[in-house]
Amino acid sequence: MRRALVIVAALVFVALSVAPVVAMALRIEGDDLAALADARIWSLIRRTFVLGVAVSAGCLAVGVPFGFLVARTNMPGARLLRPLAVVPILMPTLLMAMTWTALVPLRGAVATGLLLVLSYFPLVAIFAARAAERIDRRQEESAWSLGGLRAALRADLGAILPPALAGACLAFTFAVNDFSIPDFVSSIGPKFNVYADEIFANWNQYERPGLAVASSLPLLAMTCLALVPMLALRRRGAFAPLASSFQRPGTLPLGRWRWPAALACTALVGASVIVPVGRLLWESTGGPTAWRPEAVRLALVDPEAPPPPVASRPTPMAPIPESTEPPLSFDERVSALPVIAGRQLTTMRKGFTSAFQRAREDLVRSLELGAMAAFLTALLGLVLGHAAERGRARSAVLLAALVPIAVPGVLFGIGTQALWDSPWLAEVTGGASTRFYTTPTMAGLLFTGRFAAFGILIVSGAVASAPLVAEQAAASVGAGPLARLFRIVLPQVVGALVATWICVFAFALRELDSALIVTEARRTAIVRVFNGVHFGRDEYVASLALLLVFTILLPGILWSAFAPRPAEVLP
Amino acid sequence: MRLLGSSGLSAALLVLVTSLALPSCSGPEPDLVVYTAVDQEHAERIIRKFQDDHPDLVIVPVFDVEANKTIGLVDDIRREAHAPRCDVFWNNEIANTIALADEGLLAPYDSPSAADIPERFRDPEHRWTGIAMRARCIILNEDRMRELGATPEHLPDRFMDLLEGDWAGHGALARPLSGTTLTHLAVLYEKLGFEQGHALAERLYAANVDGELDLVSGNGPLMRKVGDGQAAWGFTDTDDFNVGRIRGYPVSRVFADQGEDGIGTLVIPNAVSIVANCRHPELAKEFVDFLLSKEVEAMLAAGDSAQIPTRDDVPRPDHVPNLRDVKVMDVDWVAVGRNLPRVHEDLKKIFLR
Repeated sequence: MRRALVIVAALVFVALSVAPVVAMALRIEGDDLAALADARIWSLIRRTFVLGVAVSAGCLAVGVPFGFLVARTNMPGARLLRPLAVVPILMPTLLMAMTWTALVPLRGAVATGLLLVLSYFPLVAIFAARAAERIDRRQEESAWSLGGLRAALRADLGAILPPALAGACLAFTFAVNDFSIPDFVSSIGPKFNVYADEIFANWNQYERPGLAVASSLPLLAMTCLALVPMLALRRRGAFAPLASSFQRPGTLPLGRWRWPAALACTALVGASVIVPVGRLLWESTGGPTAWRPEAVRLALVDPEAPPPPVASRPTPMAPIPESTEPPLSFDERVSALPVIAGRQLTTMRKGFTSAFQRAREDLVRSLELGAMAAFLTALLGLVLGHAAERGRARSAVLLAALVPIAVPGVLFGIGTQALWDSPWLAEVTGGASTRFYTTPTMAGLLFTGRFAAFGILIVSGAVASAPLVAEQAAASVGAGPLARLFRIVLPQVVGALVATWICVFAFALRELDSALIVTEARRTAIVRVFNGVHFGRDEYVASLALLLVFTILLPGILWSAFAPRPAEVLP
Repeated sequence: MRLLGSSGLSAALLVLVTSLALPSCSGPEPDLVVYTAVDQEHAERIIRKFQDDHPDLVIVPVFDVEANKTIGLVDDIRREAHAPRCDVFWNNEIANTIALADEGLLAPYDSPSAADIPERFRDPEHRWTGIAMRARCIILNEDRMRELGATPEHLPDRFMDLLEGDWAGHGALARPLSGTTLTHLAVLYEKLGFEQGHALAERLYAANVDGELDLVSGNGPLMRKVGDGQAAWGFTDTDDFNVGRIRGYPVSRVFADQGEDGIGTLVIPNAVSIVANCRHPELAKEFVDFLLSKEVEAMLAAGDSAQIPTRDDVPRPDHVPNLRDVKVMDVDWVAVGRNLPRVHEDLKKIFLR
């Protein structure tokens, strides 16, 4: 019975997560591989690799101290900063790029790297924080008694570094596959192309999907190089089961460094969360256009009047009549503040109303698809995550689980399309597969396949840290495999399952790359934001982006607020 | 029972929400499927109008995404040829539609609504019809241009001003790997010949490397960049320019290469067609009749996209030009469509390295 359940779950996983990758690989033709010999390709790969390493190093540099400070010290605000730092990995990176480029004239490689660090440092911070909490008090005290704070920190670092490096490996994977930030950020001066550009451009190649697949092989290899050690590192660090005599470590006093540390961590969270969200809020109010001099002047003269229309310029560069109005003084601007602020609130309300009306269906659809993917992934994660940890083929299952996240999103979309909408399958199924491909359920399955790995990895981690003895005891009194799974294992991994649900829900809602390929997945809120950015109506786009961010974060916020047990990404 | 603690209850709630979501993920069978590469914000207003007139129909619009403009849906139509899903293809350009027609993927339909559309915008075999156009144009930031000494008589007004003369070093162009900038370059390759076109693209790339030319990710971002004054001027489309104008940027518009020796400005009509062997041919014809009507051209002209009507007698706001007043580039769209893959490959090699 239990074996049957695992086989069914494995078949579903293979159909949704592995088969698209195989279908994708089958599209490669001989000519496509020849394109890899181009020196240009290797220059892009080198650049992308360097970018990935730099981003990983940056994530380590800020993520390890941040994780340690919020988890183990008496730093003020640690309880608030720790959950806030999760937000950047749940937010679409496109929003990070949009908001920061509007604020700072930083462009090119440096800006790309910095924004990627801001987006992905939480991966390191989360791993580091959990590892720091799993250090036994006695071990730390021994180090302290031998060499003081310095020795204690050195001992702690030895325990924190392996899982932190695992987080850095994940950050590397996300960074080298990111298309939005490099594309959006590097537009002045020499264009900073990355390898994801090449794959995207090749996907646009007419009737040569194999070229995009072939060109993704080096990136796939690069990603696997990072993910395989990640598996080993996370096991060695965060997932080692705690001894039954484990003593929770104490809070380290920071002394006079309390406030500087809090300031540094707040700055980091500010840059990665508060600035992007704040900028979106500002843009949703009409931003700088609300403060045009003519609008301010009118506000001073007639507070009730609507903002003046923008003057048309029918003849390019026609002389502008000399203004008889003196420049606005600071006091005048302050006097106009209540009226302008009122107008900005009105603009904001209109922007949100418009965004909600126009994007309601897309938001609802995103929510439905995200919930569907999250539920199916949690279910797969429970069965396969447990089988991976307790079964004999652990390494094989975990390696297979990495496949869908190692493949670039665009490629995973191409594979899903090639598998489910192929003429041969249509012929075999009498057209049923084609009809199924055009239902929204297909989009939900796309996201399930893409993110199933998170369920398996998160649950297997939770199972690894749970004592085997409870399952053995249940077995000894005659409990069957299913009873053990649902009555013994499930209660111990509820936190991990909830974390899986929340993570996959968030990742599905922010998934853009694979959604660009599968037709039904294109009718989602993130695609509308992506198209809206081009459209250039900032109030509307900002309002829509904020609605999307709120929807993404909502399950996590609700869970944190009302559930007594935390969602556990790591044991 | 152990599960039904607070955590278990919340988990059960999540499962319940998900279960409720599952059935709604399948949808009703559509009566009409419209693929459109026209900007979602513009196209859905028109489609909604048709939906309002036919409230009982299930109309499924599928929009293209900006990064993949004009190519994604065309590829979808090719790939789905064994069992077409799309009924009506409303393209935002014409070269790829002609390519689809040549491949036998479009069905002929002589719409009565197209009778008064000028002949040059209609396929002699009725497989596609052009409506509502966008033109490539120069967008100027007037404040920045004044600082640079521009006057009504002395302005960037040629494509080559990106690379030479007083205005080089201050201009911007979208990276020509997708959308209308790709089409623009493909047309220039066709006009100049492949070798000369390649040399021009190399010069654009070199100017970018030297910091003399901004290469922006798309026409919309370019409009923002010029509007914000980060670039003084650049090439974009009339619809993007109009959005900048509405936003209150200090911008004005110039059509390029209008002089006696100039090749004229590139004008790109939308192209409407019915997919061969589509599932709902009768409704497709009705929708095409609606799209090709003067009413829709007037809506597209009056909307934020400020599209230029093909018919002279369609009412339009003052800021929408009449083609009689503009020197339009003469383009062999069939040849452009045929050479597009080769040009794209060449541009990719130049701009992606």
